[in-house]
Amino acid sequence: MSADLSNTFHDELQSLKDLSGLVQLRVKYLGKKGILTAELKSLSSLPAEERKAAGKRVNDLKNLIESELDAKEASLKAEALKAQLLSESIDISLPGKSAGFGRQHPLSRVMSEIADIFVKMGFSIEEGPEVELDKYNFELLNIPKDHPARDMQDTFYVSDEIVLRTHTSPVQVRVMQRQKPPLRFIAPGRVYRCDADITHSPMFHQIEGLMIDRDITFSNLKAVLRTFVHQMFGADTAVRFRPSFFPFTEPSAEIDIGCFLCKQAGCRVCKSTGWLEVLGAGMVNPAVLENVGYDPDEYSGFAFGMGIERIAMLKYAIDDIRLFFDNDARFLRQF
Amino acid sequence: MKVPYKWLKEIAGIDAPVAEAAHRLTMAGLEVEAIEPCGDDHVLEVNVTPNRPDCLSVIGIARELSAIYKTSLNLPPHDVLAHTGALDFNVDILDYDLCHRYAGRIIRGIKIGPSPAWMQQRLEQCGIRPINNIVDITNYVLLEFGHPLHAFDMKKVKGHRIRVATAGCAYPGAEVKITTLDSAERAVPADTLLILDAEDPIGIAGIMGGLHSEVDDTTEDIFIESAYFAPSSIRRSSRALGLKTEASYRFERGSDIKMLKKALDRAAYLVKEIVGGELYGKIDMYPKKFVQTSIDVRYEKVNRVLGINISKEEMTSCLNGLGFEIKTKKDLFNVKVPAFRNDVKRDYDVIEEVARMYGYDNIPAVLPKATIGMETGSEAGSALSGIAGAVRASLLKTGFTEAINLSFMSEADLDMLDIPADNSRRRVVNIKNPLRSEEACMRTMILPSLIRNLKHNLAYGSRDLKIFESAKVFIGNGQDSLPSEEHAICALYYREKAKTLYPETANDFFVIKGIAESILSDLGAAGISFVRSTEPFLHPGQSADIFAGKGKVGYIGALSPVVFDRLGIKSAKPSIIIMEFFIEKLKSAGFNQPRYRQLPKFPAIDRDVAIVLDSSFAASDLNSIISGFGSELIEGISIFDVYQGSNIPEGKKSLAFSIRYRASDRTLTEEEIEGLHSRLVAHLSEKTGGQVRK
Ligand SMILES: [Zn+2]
Repeated sequence: MSADLSNTFHDELQSLKDLSGLVQLRVKYLGKKGILTAELKSLSSLPAEERKAAGKRVNDLKNLIESELDAKEASLKAEALKAQLLSESIDISLPGKSAGFGRQHPLSRVMSEIADIFVKMGFSIEEGPEVELDKYNFELLNIPKDHPARDMQDTFYVSDEIVLRTHTSPVQVRVMQRQKPPLRFIAPGRVYRCDADITHSPMFHQIEGLMIDRDITFSNLKAVLRTFVHQMFGADTAVRFRPSFFPFTEPSAEIDIGCFLCKQAGCRVCKSTGWLEVLGAGMVNPAVLENVGYDPDEYSGFAFGMGIERIAMLKYAIDDIRLFFDNDARFLRQF
Repeated sequence: MKVPYKWLKEIAGIDAPVAEAAHRLTMAGLEVEAIEPCGDDHVLEVNVTPNRPDCLSVIGIARELSAIYKTSLNLPPHDVLAHTGALDFNVDILDYDLCHRYAGRIIRGIKIGPSPAWMQQRLEQCGIRPINNIVDITNYVLLEFGHPLHAFDMKKVKGHRIRVATAGCAYPGAEVKITTLDSAERAVPADTLLILDAEDPIGIAGIMGGLHSEVDDTTEDIFIESAYFAPSSIRRSSRALGLKTEASYRFERGSDIKMLKKALDRAAYLVKEIVGGELYGKIDMYPKKFVQTSIDVRYEKVNRVLGINISKEEMTSCLNGLGFEIKTKKDLFNVKVPAFRNDVKRDYDVIEEVARMYGYDNIPAVLPKATIGMETGSEAGSALSGIAGAVRASLLKTGFTEAINLSFMSEADLDMLDIPADNSRRRVVNIKNPLRSEEACMRTMILPSLIRNLKHNLAYGSRDLKIFESAKVFIGNGQDSLPSEEHAICALYYREKAKTLYPETANDFFVIKGIAESILSDLGAAGISFVRSTEPFLHPGQSADIFAGKGKVGYIGALSPVVFDRLGIKSAKPSIIIMEFFIEKLKSAGFNQPRYRQLPKFPAIDRDVAIVLDSSFAASDLNSIISGFGSELIEGISIFDVYQGSNIPEGKKSLAFSIRYRASDRTLTEEEIEGLHSRLVAHLSEKTGGQVRK
C-alpha cells in the first residue's frame, strides 16, 4: 500500500507547476485531513505486533514526502525569482547618462604638468601683475630705454611707463625686492607681445623660474633643466645647451631638445636640424642682482623661461596657435 | 645676417666642411638657422643676438671661426696711398655726445658704372641689390667690416663743408624736413642728428642719406663718410622716423669706433682698384676718444660661477683669438676689451666668453645643494591652486570645459551688456597700440569673451555648451597707475531644448545654482546668501547676486533677453545661464572650520505641510520663520514641491515641505509631535500670511 502511495505522490510531485499546486499537495498528504494523517490514525486498528513496523513505514514515508515537498518548494521559489529578475532586465547596451566632466584647456594641462615637476624639486609658485611698469618689465632687468634688446619683444603700451608685460621675468624682480635669498620659485602666467600669425599670438603663456642662493653655478642650471627635460619629455631625450643672449642673464643659454617628431633625423618642425628650442636660461646677471639690492659676490643664481604654447604645440602636434584661443569645443574636447 | 661661406673661409683662414663650421658656430653662440646651397658656395643664415653687433659682418663672424679653429684672421687689403695736398673741405661736429668721431675721404675723377660681377654676386647672396660701383663698394664694405659708410656727390655738398648737428640745434624752433634716398619727404624730430652742408641737411646721420646729395650717373667727385654715432640717439631717431636701415640697425647696436678708419680705407682701396680716380688725404675728427674697458677676472670666480675646475692657462687660452688683450697675474687676469666688443663690461661677461669657448656641453651637470627655507609663494598662489584652483576643479567636475581667451576686449562689448557708465567695469585700461579695434583694451569682464566663444561654437552646429574661464580682469586706476588686477572665474551654460534619452526636468537656473551652492559649501564659505541681482545683463526675475556676509562674491542668472536679442543667435529660447565668482572677494569671505557634532541617537519624525501663499514669497524665508519659532526639536525642513496652476488662485503658489523633528535625549512621542506640529503650522500660516492646505 505505502509503495503505491509513494508512487502516486511522486507522480503528483512531478507534475507540479507552481507554488500553489505545491501548497495543495502538502495539504493533501500532510494536512490534518491528509492521506498520511489518516494512515497514522488507521494504525491503531492494526494488531499490536504489526503496529510498530507499519508505524515506522508510515513515518518514513511522511518524512520522505515532507523533505521532497521542501526541496520542491525551494526549487520552485528559485525558478520564480529567476523568472522575475529576467523580466526586469534592461538594455544594458544603451549609453549611460553622462556625468559630463569638463576638459582642462590644453595650455593649463601643459602648464600644470610643468609646474608639478618644479614643485617636486622644491620650487614654490609666484605671481605678478600682467599690466606692468616699464621699470619692472625692462629697466630693472637690464633693458634700458633705447636699447636694441627691446626689439626682441614687440611691446603693447598703456602709457610711456606702463606696458603689458612681455615676459614673466618681472616677477623675478618683484619677488627679489620683497624677499632675501635663498629663493626658489616658478612664475607661470599670461604675457603679451604685439605680433599675430600662425605661430605668434598677441597673448601667450610663459613659465619663468628662478633659483638664488650662495654658490649656485651654471652647472647647477644645467642639471636642474636637464632633469626637467627628462621628466617632461622622457628620460632618453637628448638635451643640448648653447650660448645665447638675454639682457638679464650672463652667461645665457638656449636649451634644445632632440626632435621627438623625427627622432632627430630632420623634419619640417625642427627645420631639418634635429633640434627643437624649448627653453631660455642663464645665470642671473649681476646687474639685476644689484638692482634689487643683492650682493653679486655673495649670491648667485639662475633663471629660466619657456613658452607654454610652443611646448603644447610640439607635444600635441598643433600647427596653428590660434586654435588655443578660439575655444572650439571640438578642439577642447580632444585633450 | 646672410654670409657666403667662401667669403668667411677666406678671412677666417679655415677649410672646414660647411656643416661642421655651422655647427660649431651654433654651439659658440652664433646660431646658424639655415645653410642654403648657392652655386658652388653656401650661404649661412646666422642669427646674431642684439649684444653682438660685431658679428653683423663677415669679419666678425670669421673672427669667431678663427678663435674656434685656432687660425689667424686675414683682414682684406686696405692700405692706400693718398695725395697730401690741401683739401679745401671742412667738417664741424657740433654735438660731440651724439657723434664721437667723423672721418671721410675725397676721391676725384671717378666714373660711375656697374660694379664687377664677383662683387654683385656677393651682394646678392647677402640680399643686397647692386646699384652702381660706388654704392656697391660702400655696401660691400658694410658687409665685410660691419661699418656703415655713405658716399656723397661732392658737387652737391654746398660750401665744401659738412656739419653734424641735431635738427633742433641747426634750426632752433623750426620744422625740419628732408627728402631721403627712398624719395620720401620726412619731418625730422629736433633731437635727431643730421648731416648738413653749408646750407641744407644732406642726410639723416647713421640712418639714410638725402636724395639731393646722392651719387648718380654724372657724379665725378665723391666724399665717403665713415663715422661713429651714439647708439641710443640713432635708435631713438630711427624709431621716431619709423625708418630702419642696414646702417641704423648697426649703429644703434654699436659700431666699432676704431675699425671705422680701416673700413674707410678699405672702401678707398676698392674704389682705386675698381673705379680708379684720385684719392685725397683723409679727414678725421675724433673729439670723443674711445675709453678702453679693463676688467680684472679672478680665476677662482670663473670656476665658481660655472661649476668647473680648469687651470689658469686653459681659461685664458679659451679667450685667444677673440681680440682681448690678456695679462695674467697671480689670482686674476686682466682683460682689455677691444672697441668692437661693447657687450663685455664686467667679469661675468668674460666668464661667458670663457664658457662658450670652453663649450657649454663640456660643463658638467650637477644638481644644486639647496638651502631649505619657507617656500611660501605669493598668497595668490597660482591659478591652479588655492580657492581659484578649487573652484576651477569643481567646474571641471561638474561638466564645464575650460576656455582661454585673449585678455582683450573693446568698449562695444560693455555696451552690448548694458554696463552703465558709473560701473567699475567701465574703468578700462586702453592699449595705445592695439592690433585690432576689437582688442583695444584689457578685459574688465570675462563674459564678452565667453559669448564670443558661444557664437563660434553655435556657428558649426553645437547645441549645448558649458565653458568657463579663470583669468584676471583689469580695473583702471588712472593713466599713471597700475590697474587693479582681479581674479575672476566666469562660466557660461547654454542649452537648447532637444530630444534626449535622459531629459533634465529641472529649470536650468536651479541646475547652475546647485553647482554654485556645492562649490561654495565645498569651500566652506560662511554666511552665503542669494539676493535678487542688479546685474544689468541678467534677466531681472531669474538672477541672483551671491553674498558671503556683506561682500558680493559673484552672481548667477539667465542672460537678459534684451542682451540675447543682440547676439543674433537663431535658436528659439535656448537657456543661457551665467555664473561668475570674484576670487579676491571670495578669499576675504569667512570660512567654516569643520567641527564634530555628535551623531543623533534617537529617531526623527517627519511631518509634511503645504501652504498656499503669495507667489512673490521667497522660499528661503521659511528658514528664518522657523528659527523664529524657537524650538530645539525642529531639525530642519526640505521643500519638495512648488506648484502654481489649477486649484491655486491667481498670484498664489503652493509650497510643500517636510519638517523633521528630533530630540537629542529621548524618543519623541506622537502626542508631543502633534502638539508641536500644530503650533508650528499656526505660526507659519500667521507669519507667511498663507493658508495651510488640508
Ligand atoms: Zn624633427
